[in-house]
Amino acid sequence: MKKQLVIFVILIITFLGCEKDDICIDAITPNLIIRFYNDTLHTELKKVALDSVWAINKNVLSAYKGVITDSIAIPLNLSENSTRYIIENNSVKDTLEFSYTRSDVFVSRSCGYKTIFDNLQISNNTNNWIKSITINNPTISDEKAAHISIYH
Amino acid sequence: MKKLHILVFIISSWFGVQCYAQQSTDTIKRQELYGIRIGIDVSKPIITFFDTQNKGIEMVSDIRILNNYYLAAEIGNVTKTTNEDYINFTTKGSYIKVGFNYNAYKNWIGMRNEIYVGLRYGISFFSQTLNNYTPNSNGTYFNTPQINPNTKFSGLTAQWYAFVFGMKVETFKNLYLGTSVSFNKMISTKEPENFKNLYVPGFNRVFLNNSGVSFNYTLSYLIPIIKKKK
Repeated sequence: MKKQLVIFVILIITFLGCEKDDICIDAITPNLIIRFYNDTLHTELKKVALDSVWAINKNVLSAYKGVITDSIAIPLNLSENSTRYIIENNSVKDTLEFSYTRSDVFVSRSCGYKTIFDNLQISNNTNNWIKSITINNPTISDEKAAHISIYH
Repeated sequence: MKKLHILVFIISSWFGVQCYAQQSTDTIKRQELYGIRIGIDVSKPIITFFDTQNKGIEMVSDIRILNNYYLAAEIGNVTKTTNEDYINFTTKGSYIKVGFNYNAYKNWIGMRNEIYVGLRYGISFFSQTLNNYTPNSNGTYFNTPQINPNTKFSGLTAQWYAFVFGMKVETFKNLYLGTSVSFNKMISTKEPENFKNLYVPGFNRVFLNNSGVSFNYTLSYLIPIIKKKK
């Protein structure tokens, strides 16, 4: 019987290969990723000297305050179907209004639900320093590639 | 006061005689009891008392079929609300587990205790209600709203197998106190759409590798049917 008990205990141990699902490590609600390109040569990345980036009626995004970069990742508003951002480059402001539809997708116990965005459109924009905009991917479900290209 | 002392003396001497008598009869009678044992899980009402979000009841039963083998079953009903960081849901349903136990404990003559291992097949019929959730987003730049969909996913099922390890002790004649732990592994589930069975009645919390652990503390009564001489 002792032998049987040992086998039983081994079975239990193999069973309890504990997997932690209390900490969220999966991808959650993605940010909108924008890359900046040269307007004369569309394949060439061109950096912007960002003074600040903010959504209307919100504080400045601290990650993009006085930063020189060729790409930004910004959150979209989950309570509404559009978000309006102001991007200030070399003291010149441009306003962009993104519109989209939202849907919530279950991820896991610890992560809960994430929101993905479909039918991404630029419903309104100004052209002070921005020359043109193209949408690469109208569905924002991950942060693997840029969703929008801005030429300047 | 004197009367009380006398009373105590009489009662205690009667106990002494009774013990002695029992000892002498036990050595003469050498019989094995075969019967059906019925009981309830006493821990579940206590848990309900302290946690109103967790209501459960479980009945247990087993029948001795061979010297050391018992057919065993548990049947229960659960209503439990689980609150996680970003989701809150209520699971409601019933389950049944059937299988057998093997008693590995060698009793002294006249004793009827058990230390057993067992196998079970479990099946559960339940519903999940997603009470509310908060979409999980990076940072707090925008206020993320809590959404209260109250979506009910009914007609869900789960099947699993389990290894059981437990013991039963006869405390009074034919009355048993028992405890067991069960290691569950999912065979198949019918999952809700855009959600997951994170809790299954009878299986308990479903871990990432589709396993789970459940316990019970039982009080059961043996209804003797056959007395076999050993």
